[in-house]
Amino acid sequence: MQEHSRAILNADPSLSRFDPLPRIIYHDDFNRGLRGWVELIGNYEDSLDSMLPQYADMRPPMLSSGTHWDTGTHGAMQGTYSMKLATRARAGDISVSIKRVTWRHRGPVRLEAYFTFKPEASALQLSVDDVRAVGVLFDLQDQEYRWMPHWRYLNALQGEPVRSWQFKRKREPFHDIGGRAETVSHFHLAPSGWENVPDSAQILCYNEVATKFNWYYLRMDLDLAGRQITHLQCNDRVHDVTAVGPMMIPAMPNLDCMLNVAFWVETDVDKRAFLYVDSVLLSGDW
Amino acid sequence: MLRESYTAIVERSEELKGGFATEPYECGWAGEAIFFVRTLERVGSLEGVRLNVQISPDGIRWCDEGASVTLGEEEVAFCKVAHFGNWLRLSGTLPDGARMRAIIALSLKA
Repeated sequence: MQEHSRAILNADPSLSRFDPLPRIIYHDDFNRGLRGWVELIGNYEDSLDSMLPQYADMRPPMLSSGTHWDTGTHGAMQGTYSMKLATRARAGDISVSIKRVTWRHRGPVRLEAYFTFKPEASALQLSVDDVRAVGVLFDLQDQEYRWMPHWRYLNALQGEPVRSWQFKRKREPFHDIGGRAETVSHFHLAPSGWENVPDSAQILCYNEVATKFNWYYLRMDLDLAGRQITHLQCNDRVHDVTAVGPMMIPAMPNLDCMLNVAFWVETDVDKRAFLYVDSVLLSGDW
Repeated sequence: MLRESYTAIVERSEELKGGFATEPYECGWAGEAIFFVRTLERVGSLEGVRLNVQISPDGIRWCDEGASVTLGEEEVAFCKVAHFGNWLRLSGTLPDGARMRAIIALSLKA
């Protein structure tokens, strides 16, 4: 980045903490609303019942002030509000929110975000293993392929701590939806097929009770031209991405130039799990 | 400045029966809200059933706000609420043998 461009970013406290590529595609500060982030829903035809059941209830995002029974309003990293995703209080439940745009140049893109995650503070216990996973994915398409980089932090599984970053390239089966052969669906967030990224273990700052938030930095870079994941980073940890890949699917109808980003959270126990996203910045180089 | 607004679908077509409550929805930024209950399917009589708006200090513990949606023959019923703090949900009990599927929309405005 040119020196004068960096100086302009540094003059804005909401941007100076990011390292964007030259073009900002969107910068979502949730003090200014939910800004196009919406609950993910599965494909359906004629009836909602035609949807794959895993997609039936992914819960609407909220604007959260991070308010707790013990200390009141925690707020966000900057300002009061963050985007909050909440599961139901049912082990394995997932909440997913998505933002849908299209790309205008098939080149480098960079996603950055500040986030944290916590279980519902319904028990006076550490609860550090209650959230199963949080993650981010892209859903992209060019003329030849739909490709879907998936990246998650597996915090715990079936009560056991894991604390590892994983990716998923294994495709899930497509199912016909409805009876007109127009719509298909696949549940790409299924629990099978996840692989550790190199040097995957990372202990994040959970802190000591469920009502204390520490915010983390996340960065994921892609090369849309090469269909490659080029950078994965959380806080000070940068992973070797040489052997990391996305799901690859032959291009599908009606998805040209798709550039979708989704965040999700999954609970490991019968207690709500929450993902809080303070801000998101998607940038590109053209 | 435009007034911020957002509609959250807090319940979508899951079968409701007996006692139930919608998931907690955090909306302290909003100054007014409407719960819309669009009935998709009903079994048994729901005439006069009241679904109560509830508020909460922490999203965990709940009390009735006083407003309620009264179900009838129409497809869509609603109630308005304001001055509700940071959380809202809708809670009710369907009569024995009755069940319904509904889309419950929480329409919020700053």
